[in-house]
Amino acid sequence: MPETIEKIPLKVNVNGKAYARNIEPRMLLVEFLREELDLTGTHVGCDTTYCGACTVLMNGAAVKSCTVFAVQADDAEILTVEGLEKDGQLHPIQKAFGDAYGLQCGYCTPGLLISTYQLLSHNKQPSAKEIGKAIAGNTCRCTGYQNIFKAIQLAAQNKTGA
Amino acid sequence: MTIKPGSEEKKWVGQALPRKEEDRLLRGRGRFADDIKLRDMAYLRFVRSPYAHARIISIDTSAAEALAGVVCALTGKEIVSQTQPFIEIGADSKVRDYPFAVSKVRYQGEPVAAVVAESASVADDAAELVHVEYEALEPVVDAEQALEDKSILHEESGTNKIWNGVFEYGDVEKAFQDAASVVHIDRLHFHRFSSTPLENNVVIGEWNQKDDHIYYSCNNSFPSFAIQFLSAHLNVHIDRIRVQTSDIGGSFGIKITNYPQMAVVALASKKAGGRPVKWVETRSEHMTSSAHGNERTFRDTRVALDKNGVITAITSRHIDDCGAYPRYEPLGCVIWSQVFPGVYRFKNARIDFTQTVTNKCPVGPNRGYSRMQHLWFLERVIDICAHHLGIPADEMRMRNYIRPEEFPYTTPNGCVYDSGNYPGMLEVAKQLIGWDEWKKKQDEARKRGRLIGIGIGTTLDSGTNNFGQSQIVNPGAPFSGNSQGANCKLDIYGEVVVAVGSCPQGQGHETTAAQVVADVLNISPDLITVRTGFDTERNVHTGFSGTYASQFAVSGLSAVHGAAQKLKTEMKRLAAFVLETKDDDIEFGVGAQGPELRAKTTGKSINYWGLANIVNVNSAVLPAEMYDITLNCRYIWRAPFKVPDKQRKYGNLTLTYASQLHIAVVEVDCETFIPVILDYVAVDDCGTVINPPIVEGQVYGATAHGIGAALLENCAYDAVGNMLTSTFSDYTPITAVNMPKIKYGHIQTPSPHSYSGAKGMGEGGAAPIHTISAALQDALFSNGIIIEDSFNNADSLFRALVGKEICQAEKLVKLERRAS
Amino acid sequence: MITQIGDEAKLLAGGQSLIPLMKLRFANPRHLVDLNFIPDISYIKEENGALRFGALTRHAEIEDSAIAAKLPIIHDCAAGIADVQVRNRGTIGGSIAEADPSGDWATVLLTQSTEVRCLSPKGERAVPLNQFITDAYTTVLAHDELVSEIRVKIPPKRTGAAYLAFKRAAPVYPTASAAVSVAIEGDVCKEAAIALGCVGLTAIKATAAEAALRGQQLTDKSIAAAAEAARNAADPQPDMRGSAGYKRALVLALVKRAIEIAVRRARGEQVEVSHIYA
Repeated sequence: MPETIEKIPLKVNVNGKAYARNIEPRMLLVEFLREELDLTGTHVGCDTTYCGACTVLMNGAAVKSCTVFAVQADDAEILTVEGLEKDGQLHPIQKAFGDAYGLQCGYCTPGLLISTYQLLSHNKQPSAKEIGKAIAGNTCRCTGYQNIFKAIQLAAQNKTGA
Repeated sequence: MTIKPGSEEKKWVGQALPRKEEDRLLRGRGRFADDIKLRDMAYLRFVRSPYAHARIISIDTSAAEALAGVVCALTGKEIVSQTQPFIEIGADSKVRDYPFAVSKVRYQGEPVAAVVAESASVADDAAELVHVEYEALEPVVDAEQALEDKSILHEESGTNKIWNGVFEYGDVEKAFQDAASVVHIDRLHFHRFSSTPLENNVVIGEWNQKDDHIYYSCNNSFPSFAIQFLSAHLNVHIDRIRVQTSDIGGSFGIKITNYPQMAVVALASKKAGGRPVKWVETRSEHMTSSAHGNERTFRDTRVALDKNGVITAITSRHIDDCGAYPRYEPLGCVIWSQVFPGVYRFKNARIDFTQTVTNKCPVGPNRGYSRMQHLWFLERVIDICAHHLGIPADEMRMRNYIRPEEFPYTTPNGCVYDSGNYPGMLEVAKQLIGWDEWKKKQDEARKRGRLIGIGIGTTLDSGTNNFGQSQIVNPGAPFSGNSQGANCKLDIYGEVVVAVGSCPQGQGHETTAAQVVADVLNISPDLITVRTGFDTERNVHTGFSGTYASQFAVSGLSAVHGAAQKLKTEMKRLAAFVLETKDDDIEFGVGAQGPELRAKTTGKSINYWGLANIVNVNSAVLPAEMYDITLNCRYIWRAPFKVPDKQRKYGNLTLTYASQLHIAVVEVDCETFIPVILDYVAVDDCGTVINPPIVEGQVYGATAHGIGAALLENCAYDAVGNMLTSTFSDYTPITAVNMPKIKYGHIQTPSPHSYSGAKGMGEGGAAPIHTISAALQDALFSNGIIIEDSFNNADSLFRALVGKEICQAEKLVKLERRAS
Repeated sequence: MITQIGDEAKLLAGGQSLIPLMKLRFANPRHLVDLNFIPDISYIKEENGALRFGALTRHAEIEDSAIAAKLPIIHDCAAGIADVQVRNRGTIGGSIAEADPSGDWATVLLTQSTEVRCLSPKGERAVPLNQFITDAYTTVLAHDELVSEIRVKIPPKRTGAAYLAFKRAAPVYPTASAAVSVAIEGDVCKEAAIALGCVGLTAIKATAAEAALRGQQLTDKSIAAAAEAARNAADPQPDMRGSAGYKRALVLALVKRAIEIAVRRARGEQVEVSHIYA
């Protein structure tokens, strides 16, 4: 530990943009996103992989970026909350969360948006039980989850035009 | 200036408006304290005690300081010479509270040193290299044991007792003499838990060596309180400490007491030559050493009841455990008395209240602060008496509730409940849950051996404190009343800009403030900018500014309303001059050139840009008698409080009383003992509602906190003070799969105290804890169980039902029936 | 590479157990060998009457797999591990190699005929699962050896198995869990395998409970006897999930319910199972 740690190269695609950096192997993916790339929308809320505030999409799968080393994302495609909007327009999921009052302090929101993104990519009409399962790894302390369920159902409706 | 409610059109107040905060938060563009990066910033890590109680023999930071990338290290001894101990709220307190342990540690996780480094990971590495030698001392984790003073935490005090007071009203002895029955309850206990906001404490501090100012960017949620403590502690003029907050990821009162860490960061910055220093708390640190809610034990409770089961008197001894350092306590010693009788009509009572330190994390004003413990106690008393006397839970409450026609209601200790309708709420709740059908289902289920209970919990959320109650605890405390400030102005180009004195953490203050101003000026809330975050340098605030104690709707919005009214008056005068008409000919609206003022008689108009132009850059146009018009209006709202009678402990301690009434149907699985919520209703009353979905959202949030506290969340310690739930994985904050579907209901009994009739809400009063305790007891009473603790899970229910180790009615409760 | 670095290297698969330990500084390996870039060790196949799982197959892939669904207890297990995010990273090989006392796969696969295939520079070997894990966090793996595949024999017809757990929340380990597999002939239990999770240093094969069912008619009485024997076989530690006495009581309830579901599945019924959350 006292001697300097050798940095290793990382090439990763985040929100459609390619990045190349040299980083310490012990750097976590969430630290890489927040500190190296200044994408501070992804948050840290705990230290035992419980709360999911750090959830990002890695190669299409929601992962807790606090429990992935940045170097493990070599050659990967990452999507964070900042990558959801297009040309300044909110993604339908973001809009649904706003319309349904699915957030209060906003700290858990980015992680939840990504978990919702994965859910709705595979399941167009999730039941309440399926929604619960999909967000079981995302802790919120403000909303009590009720409006989050409504937001996800609204997002599902909006996306399928129902 | 008092504005009569209803004297202006309410177009925006009461609307379900989308929140202004949404856009940046949804895009991930919120500005939380850890998102802030300053040039030349260094990182701080605390070294913390593994012992709950120990003497510090030596601290060796040399190995840490020798590590490449380490800037400096700090210890308690070093800062004692530079600082004064923190102000103590308690009278004659001999506690010496520094942000580091100095000669001894008093709780597991207490900071003993800090290291500052070029990066967070080097700071982590360095912290591991600090070598501390301890000599273990006898820890005390039980409040009643602590009061025996066998192991004293603060030697200078000579005792662990922080405060004691007896609150006695009416004629207690006579009530017991005349009672038809008397119920004795040996022991009840309210557990220690925390609202654990998802964002941990973060402090960036810079003690600038050039101008000797301290600049903070942090997420403290009561900065006016913090700077009073910091100024005295650091010997820095209060005006030279600037605290700025931006987006805060929840606080629920827990981020009020992070001023000790703020002090360390400033001292570290000073030692590092004035570089900004950042401290980001880890979750484990937060669980062990930020702040917990009060833990309270209730002993020797005696209840006098008349022949109809109406409570006439209660006596009890309450022992409050405030952890290792009192800090924001002992305000908790008196704050509970804001809701002294709860929602009930009894007039005679004696509560002997003692607060003690123990070797556990210091307590802070966690959501529901000090009142929820007392309200839970009263709900237990009602239910235990009802079950023992054979009176149904709803009947018992109807007989004991304060009646709607009795409002405003003065309680035995002089608090004035502004408005409310508890029987009305019970009706609504019973309808929503389908009380009669559930009663039938319960009967049938019981015949088949299922353990189903239906419970009611009524609670109060008292808002807008009279800080004069601190004088009941400490007659010398220079605090009283309550005030809040706001500023409303037209900027140079006529933009409407509002600044408030609160530090919102998701309550939607930007949105509700805009709604209020929109109604005053008759424009859309979209045209109003509300400054986000809090800045002590903006000088809008008063000493009470912050976000706590369920008051923004009353104090904050009343201040905003006052400022907007002042601005409106100035705008009207100026427009009347420009348009050559009288003040009462002016109307406010929006025209082709944006928001404008119009002369009704001539149709001539001037827009906001025009008005602002005259005052700001075109003032030669103004006549001398209009020089007082600035279009930049500050308003301080003051609550109509008096200093309470300290001797009698009597007086009005809070302005508004929101209430919630919940009903839960709970089943305890006979094989797994897991409690499951089958149905749940939450009814709330916070007076006039400014923005309905915001209120509804907070009710859901408070309900989740309460259900989590009741069934999942417990800050547990072992016998020697090891904190057992120091990670989220041990503490298990409530998640989506644990939540039942909540049916929400609402009534409105307006408050006479706010211009809008709104009452502060947001803390919720922890109704679910009362409700679930009631439902569990209802499920298990026929098995000889009463619920004696606020925390219940499968394990404790197993120990109660099978092991018969706890919750045994025959051991805990005695019913004395007197000849009538 | 492992042979090169020697003792100071740890293998990194899903990282969902190792990384949390490293963050809390309970584990401080000097080197990590990342297995995630090795091709061809993530697959789900059915071959020669067995399900074959590559070591790096993610729990989520197993959860979604139609092939794996042929053994419903495997789906019960995969779908119940932690939460979506953790299942997207965690692997079956990593889980078994880590041998956490609370690990779900070890508990479930002990009720099946399971082989752990291990690979080293010296070659390949197959170790039956019940010999593979010897103690908490301890397996028979040599230092230069890694798990390459888990092979589970598809049981004969008229066999059913189920996995039940009680968890306080999704992201945490169960308070206790029970895996049961039964082979039936009419009303009689021909064969039984019962494993208890989270109530010992390793998953516990409740052999006395199995004996209480084997050859017996499947009645409330015999099931209760088996559940009781299972309760006695549990050896739980008290912790924040529960006291020892409670965990034993919970084991009894879970085994009883798991037996009932296993029997229904053995009779051909499609039964959906999910963990109990507080």
